[in-house]
Amino acid sequence: MPTFEYGGVTLAVDEDGFMQEPDRWNQAVAAALATTEGVNALTDNHWKVVNYLREYYLQFGVAPMIRKLCKQTGFSLKEIYEMFPSGPAKGACKVAGLPKPTGCV
Amino acid sequence: MKQPDGLKDIARRPGQPLALVAPNDQTPLPPPFDRVDEDPPIRPLSETARSAYAVLDDTIAVNIERPKTEDEEQALVEAFLSGLAKLFSVPDNWTFLQPLEMSMEHCARCQTCSEACHIFEESGGNELYRPTFRSEILRRIYFKYVKKASPLVHGDIDLNWETVARLIELAYRCNLCRRCAQTCPIGVDNALLSREIRKIASQEMGIAPRELHRDGSVLQLAVGSSTGMTPLVVKDNIEFIDEDTAERTGLAIKTPWDVVGADILLIHNAGEIMSWPENPGAFATVFTAAGLSWTMSSEITAYDAINYGVWYDDIQFARVAVHHAAAARRLGVRKIVLGECGHAHKALTVIADKVLTGDLNIPRESGLVLLRDIVRSGKIAFDTSRNDFPVTLHDPCNMVRLMGLVSPQREIIDAVVPEARFREMAPHGVDNYCCGGGSGFAIMSGHNFADWRHHVSGRRKFRQILEAFADEPMTQDHPKYVCAPCSNCKGQIRDIITYYDAWEKAGIYYGGLVELVVNAMVDAKPGFIDWEWH
Repeated sequence: MPTFEYGGVTLAVDEDGFMQEPDRWNQAVAAALATTEGVNALTDNHWKVVNYLREYYLQFGVAPMIRKLCKQTGFSLKEIYEMFPSGPAKGACKVAGLPKPTGCV
Repeated sequence: MKQPDGLKDIARRPGQPLALVAPNDQTPLPPPFDRVDEDPPIRPLSETARSAYAVLDDTIAVNIERPKTEDEEQALVEAFLSGLAKLFSVPDNWTFLQPLEMSMEHCARCQTCSEACHIFEESGGNELYRPTFRSEILRRIYFKYVKKASPLVHGDIDLNWETVARLIELAYRCNLCRRCAQTCPIGVDNALLSREIRKIASQEMGIAPRELHRDGSVLQLAVGSSTGMTPLVVKDNIEFIDEDTAERTGLAIKTPWDVVGADILLIHNAGEIMSWPENPGAFATVFTAAGLSWTMSSEITAYDAINYGVWYDDIQFARVAVHHAAAARRLGVRKIVLGECGHAHKALTVIADKVLTGDLNIPRESGLVLLRDIVRSGKIAFDTSRNDFPVTLHDPCNMVRLMGLVSPQREIIDAVVPEARFREMAPHGVDNYCCGGGSGFAIMSGHNFADWRHHVSGRRKFRQILEAFADEPMTQDHPKYVCAPCSNCKGQIRDIITYYDAWEKAGIYYGGLVELVVNAMVDAKPGFIDWEWH
């Protein structure tokens, strides 16, 4: 299993860089994972997306539908891609410490 | 070009790739993607991955860990032989024994199949991807090591850890599209052989890609869906989709759940609900407008039509198929209707005939046939000018080649798209090419596998799409629609568009079939298809 290191953060990740132990997520982890998305500083808007994903995941055990994410945060899909270049599933979810999406998505 | 010198290479050069696909080996794509130097490169496999797992070419689908001891090496070989022997026993493999034996015994080595294979052709004719390469290795292993026949008759092959591990990886370089079987004068089915190898790996050796097994069929049977959606979440999501769709169309819908005695149980690939919510929303809109008696089921597994077992494991396949049928039986519906998902068609309408008996053998039908009946019925008025943009149609292999389901989708398009705007791909219908994501590839992207999938297995489809639109301006302000009535195909086409930046550079967009239907409904607000990329 590969590991990811940045600053003081060391994490077990899968081949796509998703963290394997979601309970170890915290804000420093999010900031470290964001660097893999080319994001060196998380803005309030980034946090709005990350926090929504995180809260939804903790409540339901799965990522929200992308359209729900857009509607609830008020960002368009385009804006989310501007914040997280790999997109909501592969980028934003990764930063929020969610596992890699599964199924035909 | 780096490629194997012959079949026996499969056992040689441990840890080294037997083949590499370089952009210069490949036929350039049509414009505006014809510049080889602008082709996105296949990123090399990392050194860590190469030293940890079996290496076949320069990518990895299965993650077969390299053995630490000679005993481990030997155990893998023995497990494979044990599984191979079981394939030829009636109690173990009554489902597929007959076509397997025919494909093992009767290949005339004429190579007619090779030209039919999009992977072999688009790799630049790399021997590793020739459809008979893996079939012939499997045959030689079988005759020499299981049947103990003379290698002088059937050909020789060395059998070691590399042979077995690479053969399993190689079974995941085939989309299982069965175009080779269709063209074979004898009917030898190389795709069936690929799947039988996958089956030995999974059922006898516990080896399968994580996306298909642990995160796929196992997750579906445990929580209800390969997407991870529980019954609670799927109902919440569908409620959201109903509201969101109604806002867009101006037509109120309420998806019915668990209605006992409804005529139809509709099962979507749950990936549609998560990633393409306009598709289930459009189905609900059309069914409501047509006044159908229908329901969805919130029982575990029965709200997700996926059945990844058809790609790699008969047992997982049967478990899911029986769950689907049992949910329909409990509701007392007259038939199961499948949404736009190709492999679910294969699973439930075709292969499940072998396992569903008695009152589990409930009629199953393609959603495309039902949509065609609705469109024909005259209950819904359409304005084709709402779909006034270039449209082409991708045929999912499991619908056309496997089932002969060719005309319903065209009748639908004929009713909702202006005649002059629709153009076929060449070839199409039963002679179609796979999207390149078939057999699970569309959801597999570990290491650099997605690069291989876009560059090699998906290249023919992208070529066909570009050729279909060749007479149109290839710019973003002239949007074009690739209609792909299958979740897996849609995921692959979305990924190819992203990989080649084909929306920005050429205005190529994609979506399902029922979306075109709702987009043309006179009673709905215009603009259901919103062309929102990112």
